[in-house]
Amino acid sequence: MQKILLLLATACCFLVSNAQQKVSGTVLDLSNTPIPGATVSEKGTWNGTTTNLNGTFSLNVESDTSTLIISFLGFQAQEINANSSGLNSIVLLESVNEIDEIIVTALGVERDKKNLGYAIQKIDSKELTEVKAVNFVDNLAAKVAGVTVSQGATGVGSTSKITIRGESSFTNNNPLFVVDGTPINNNTIVPFTTDAAAGFQEIDFGNGAMEVNPDDVESVSVLKGPSAAALYGTRAANGVILITTKSGKGKKGIGVSFNSTNTVETAFRLPQFQNTYGQGNSGEFEFVDGLGGGTNDNISYSWGPRTDGRLIPQFTSPTGGVRGGDVAVHGGSPISATPFLSYADNLKDFYKVGNTHSNNLVITNAFDGGDMRLSYTDLRSNSIIPGVNLDRKNLSARLKINATDRLKVSSSINYVNSQSDNRPSNGYGSENVNYSLVAWGPRSLDIAALKNYWQPGLEDVQQYSFNYTFFDNPYFILKENTNSFNRDRIFGNVMASFQLDEFWSLSLRSGMDYSTELRKFKRAFSTNRFQQGAYAEHQVGFRENNTDLLVNYNRKLGRITFDFSAGVNRLDQQASTVQTQTTQLAQPGVYSLTNAASPLQVFQVDGKKRINSAYGVAKFGYENYLFVDVTARNDWSSALATISSSENTSFFYPSASLSFVASNRFSLPERISFLKFRANVAQVGNDTDPYQTQGVFNAQTPVYGQPTVSEQSTIPNQNLQPEQTNSFETGFDFRMFNDRLIVDFTYYNALTKNQIISLPVSVTSGYSQQVINGGEVRSQGIEIILQSKLLKKKNFEWTSTFNFSRNVATVESLPQSDGRLTLGYSGVYDNTNQRVWFQVEEGGRVGDMYGTGYQKTAEGQFVVDDQGNFLADNDLQRLGNYNPDFILGISNRFQYKRWDANVLLDWRQGGVLVSRTQALAGVGGQLEETGNRPEGGIIVDGVVNQGTANNPVYVPNTTAISAESYYRQFYDRNHEENNTVNASYLKIREVAFGYTFPADKNTGIWKNIETLKISLIGRNLFAFSEVTHFDPEQIAVQGQQFVSGVEDMSYATSRSIGLKLGVNF
Amino acid sequence: MKLVKYVAFLGILAVALVGCKKDFEEINTNPNAPVEAQPSLILRQVIYNTGEEMSYEGFVAGNLLSQHFTMVDFNLFDRHNLAQPQLGGNPWPILYQNLRDNEILLNKSRTSAAFEVYEGPALIFKAYLAGMLTDIYGDVPYFDAFNGKAGTTAPKYDSQMSIYTAEGGILDALKMGVEKVANYNGSFTLQGDVLYQGNLGAWEKFGNSLRLKYLLRSSSKLANEAELQSIVDGSNYLNSNAENAVFNFSNGQPNNFRMANLRDGDFNLYVMSQTSEELFTKYNDPRNELFFRPISNSPTGAIIYEGLLNGPDASSTSISIADYSLPGTIFREETGRLDANYMTAWETNFLLAEAAEKGMISGSAKAFYDLAVQQAFDYWEVQMPPNYLSRTPAAYGVDPLQQIAEQKWLANSINGYESWIEYRRTGFPVLKTVSASLNGDLIPSRMPYPTSEQALNADNYNVAAGNYGGNSVNAKMWWAD
Repeated sequence: MQKILLLLATACCFLVSNAQQKVSGTVLDLSNTPIPGATVSEKGTWNGTTTNLNGTFSLNVESDTSTLIISFLGFQAQEINANSSGLNSIVLLESVNEIDEIIVTALGVERDKKNLGYAIQKIDSKELTEVKAVNFVDNLAAKVAGVTVSQGATGVGSTSKITIRGESSFTNNNPLFVVDGTPINNNTIVPFTTDAAAGFQEIDFGNGAMEVNPDDVESVSVLKGPSAAALYGTRAANGVILITTKSGKGKKGIGVSFNSTNTVETAFRLPQFQNTYGQGNSGEFEFVDGLGGGTNDNISYSWGPRTDGRLIPQFTSPTGGVRGGDVAVHGGSPISATPFLSYADNLKDFYKVGNTHSNNLVITNAFDGGDMRLSYTDLRSNSIIPGVNLDRKNLSARLKINATDRLKVSSSINYVNSQSDNRPSNGYGSENVNYSLVAWGPRSLDIAALKNYWQPGLEDVQQYSFNYTFFDNPYFILKENTNSFNRDRIFGNVMASFQLDEFWSLSLRSGMDYSTELRKFKRAFSTNRFQQGAYAEHQVGFRENNTDLLVNYNRKLGRITFDFSAGVNRLDQQASTVQTQTTQLAQPGVYSLTNAASPLQVFQVDGKKRINSAYGVAKFGYENYLFVDVTARNDWSSALATISSSENTSFFYPSASLSFVASNRFSLPERISFLKFRANVAQVGNDTDPYQTQGVFNAQTPVYGQPTVSEQSTIPNQNLQPEQTNSFETGFDFRMFNDRLIVDFTYYNALTKNQIISLPVSVTSGYSQQVINGGEVRSQGIEIILQSKLLKKKNFEWTSTFNFSRNVATVESLPQSDGRLTLGYSGVYDNTNQRVWFQVEEGGRVGDMYGTGYQKTAEGQFVVDDQGNFLADNDLQRLGNYNPDFILGISNRFQYKRWDANVLLDWRQGGVLVSRTQALAGVGGQLEETGNRPEGGIIVDGVVNQGTANNPVYVPNTTAISAESYYRQFYDRNHEENNTVNASYLKIREVAFGYTFPADKNTGIWKNIETLKISLIGRNLFAFSEVTHFDPEQIAVQGQQFVSGVEDMSYATSRSIGLKLGVNF
Repeated sequence: MKLVKYVAFLGILAVALVGCKKDFEEINTNPNAPVEAQPSLILRQVIYNTGEEMSYEGFVAGNLLSQHFTMVDFNLFDRHNLAQPQLGGNPWPILYQNLRDNEILLNKSRTSAAFEVYEGPALIFKAYLAGMLTDIYGDVPYFDAFNGKAGTTAPKYDSQMSIYTAEGGILDALKMGVEKVANYNGSFTLQGDVLYQGNLGAWEKFGNSLRLKYLLRSSSKLANEAELQSIVDGSNYLNSNAENAVFNFSNGQPNNFRMANLRDGDFNLYVMSQTSEELFTKYNDPRNELFFRPISNSPTGAIIYEGLLNGPDASSTSISIADYSLPGTIFREETGRLDANYMTAWETNFLLAEAAEKGMISGSAKAFYDLAVQQAFDYWEVQMPPNYLSRTPAAYGVDPLQQIAEQKWLANSINGYESWIEYRRTGFPVLKTVSASLNGDLIPSRMPYPTSEQALNADNYNVAAGNYGGNSVNAKMWWAD
């Protein structure tokens, strides 16, 4: 701190330096456009200035023989004599090698990447928009070292989860999204769910950041570590995704561009089924009422007869002019027998061909006093899941006005409307169609017959299905039991910056992210969970305001550049969610809260939070090779206040970084074109959600209309401290052969401590969770970016980029003295044994999963009982870790004349998944693996203990059990071990193949066209993986949480192929 | 000096914008729910939630252990792998949550004179919850439990004996609770009382009936005769069905019996057990028509009730539920006829009959028994057949302890785990070895501690589980030792 003061004092002295001769001039680029803000300094002195908006400058110099150095970011520096006649038009040439190196950093400041002492990676708009994904976050997959993206399980409109440098917090690992300097929310708000076996299931309405429109994005900077992000305060510990939208700057006058992307989607990876046996149990089946009235017709296992065409009454078989399954109509009259067959493609036929159309129209105008850009995008996507869609309209307006020489005003406003007629339900249960289609969909099920889903004459009252015990007809679910939403959102900011004098500037920015959303859940009569129908409305509101005031002092004095900024920020956040529901309707088919036949239930949660901050940053540069940044920030968070005290709400954290460009300091061998070393240390604090410091009583089921309350199940904490992450990061940037080979290496080591954890505690304490501070997690990793221009010929260029990262988060200490810390669990159903436990122990890794399995010998052989059955081992054992060992994105770009191609591969190695689909469809006898059913049964490959428990004598098992019994035990959902699969994959993530037409100004139709490009594009084309039944890229939604490492009855993801057309006028 | 001007300007703006931590207390005050709650709201919650949850537990799990019902699939629990229930079968969190809320109520009653009226009922209810808890699991966290807010998040386990006998335990709490209710002379009324609408006299009777139950249950270990006799002499216990501690379910949501809201498939997993079929047949008891439906697959169309031996292996047997009796409409279509049962006059009289038969109290065992049987029929609103009590096998005296236990069992459907607890104490009715036992053909004599305890309260769990042979379901209760 003393050093900083000293430097400040030194700087002040020069404010009053004397000068003897005045020179002036104008700095221009090649197109004779003035360059404002270019640095002009007198060589060998501390003396210097910058150009004004007209590119002109004036400077008092020692003598007219002085040499001026003119420099500007992205241009080659130039030296010129102070007495030169060329001063009136100093033309700077663009610096070819470094043009890519301008990067948007914290607070939206554009900087030269070589000055930065921390890891930051940029994706430009081309990489983002070439093969656009509907969810913006998906566009980042495999393109940035250290960034992991996992897409959600319910098709277009699902949440994608993104983490930077893995998970080092036990609770919150979400990066902060910032658009044009204003934070936007990336929340996923899941509706209220009550009971596992009745009531509504989880529905994923997508994450906040999915709504950013890639067509409007100029670039994305990923600030990976705390040092890069420290200025963003409490939410920056997990990194920042900094999005800069396009502006209208560029060629003067009106510009119009249009692009259209049209793709078709098909189901990406479907379960592999056996098709030899059909519905039933113990080889028997006959349909009577689908409720157990026939032979095993209440069961939807495929342990029934062979599907060899034998004649069996089925739900599709005729009876008295209707179908066998029209139980309420035919009144039990005998059902004719029809051939019992397998429908090998029934699931494949269920998924449709989806389509996505995205049309984007942009108008830009650059004029003397500023520029503007207007963009409208219309996205319509119909999912491969029948009836599921997403429509989104993005309207974006960006305006920059240079009101006076000194005052600049700009705005960036985005309006988004998203809506869907139906978002499919997640998780385990009858609301998820995979329940009746995959897990419990027998192989003899003719899904096409279910399309006509009402029983005749009972429309709106009674569905038609193959089974009435637990299941709903999947078409009935998707067409009648819809979960629609409509969301309006505005995010953006208005900013004014004022140049006080040549050194001082002031800026004020106020931004907002506001959204309001109405969701409607309809459930028709005869729905299994709602025999008399149901209806819910879920209103979700969010508002975040950020106001920043920033003062900047910027000066170049000879060899030293200074840049000091100090600012304050106020963040106000307000979230509200109200769900009103009735679980019985008076009149079928009428979805309104006034049609309730049971008392309305209301769930309401409002949350408010304020964070006040003061921050400062000082940047120093010495010549062109040594750069130092120092930052400091103090936050005051309301979430740490109690209802009677706001002590403990303040926390401070500093950072420092250093960049040393060795290639600018020393003369290195010619083949080394650039070499930079960097290092930084940083600390970041993190607060928590509101209301963690005080407990409340929550309303419960009223008794005959009279209210009841129960104390919340979480023990609050009055003395919460902020979480703290201390990080150290170092790396180098090494370039050879005129930048044809670039290696960027980063190592980091961060310790997160005092974590705010909602810790599960024994319910015998009266509570099930406790909010505490504690635990230390060390997160270490490396990131390597390797880029090489393998071929660079006149007409052909091939560039390969590798983004490699490995992160390991190790638990160094736990809040308790020993044992394991349970961070959470993922359950199927309301049963403690059917859970995957997320636990950590000292020395263990974050992401370790525990569950149960079957008894084994020390050598790992199954121990079976004397009947040949597996023996349950109900002690928790480690199933594996869901985090990958490494991730590697490989991009190959080819350019041949007007043709270009790009192939993006996404390799995720290591990590495991616990699969519900495998467990349930395995138990149900649907999966291919269960097709081998020898008459004599199956002998478990294991041993029998003929000794005692303490002195075991193991002999090989020779007792066979029935195939049905074998598979039902093996895949039993109570034992996760056998349902744990290797989640590694290598995906062909994106492919693009394009042709740019030559612009020929002389030909009629081309007259007004500047460029025209057509591309063939593909996304998620193929995956190499051990997992055969589903896409290994998975996250699950359970309760209000997103869960990694668990595949929970997921829908097929989609492969998309299409055409993109882009035209500029 | 310009610099000073700028810095001053910035400073003023900064303070205006940030204002540090003004309003933080207010901002971080949860607007959604109260920090404090009226005792009436908690009392209503504790009583209702306990009855609602435990009646559901009774249907989906308790009735399997007591062999009223059997489960045809997803039935590892019915096959006596009690760690793997499908529906319910995990009363642990229910009882602890209600013990916690009840404790809050008890503490409130002791800190404010205006709430003193709640102390007696809270003590009685605490004992009621604790009794269910320990009689299902054995040793459990109790004296250190439901005290997480004070810092005890991993409470130690207490012996069942201490939970029965120590100060603050079941017997002590009941005694104190009854005294508090009897001696209350304040002017405040008990509100939120969904059992008795604030009638403190009725609470006294409820408390005394529970005392009879737990004194008798522990009578193998404790010399409880004098205390039993004094309660009988006071005659201030649940005497008539009108005084029963029950909650009347409604027909529609939200206060109906939970099985009415579940999926058909869930309901249809439960059928009449062979044990039920035999016992109802043995007594030629018409209540089976209330508890069960005739089979739908009757070959002749005749009304037939058919039970299935508990614990079938669904993966090797093909069970058609059309061949067996499903539970009656009272559990699904007509739950307005159903009560959540906390304690009844008939149960009290069965207890007194047993105590008299064993010579622990004076009085006619037969008189108590006859009254109990009659009241049990009345409770279920089924006409007792003429001569039911005068003909074999119900006529008192053939094998009285077995008769008392069996008659109590016949009426004790969905009463939590009570029928199974009483079986473990009396050995009656004689339950059947289940079809495909996962417990070595033994009837379990306790529920295992849930897996969550192993994860969240490991040290204490390990000691307690060790005392029960590694959390064995075959370990005996203290009172049955």
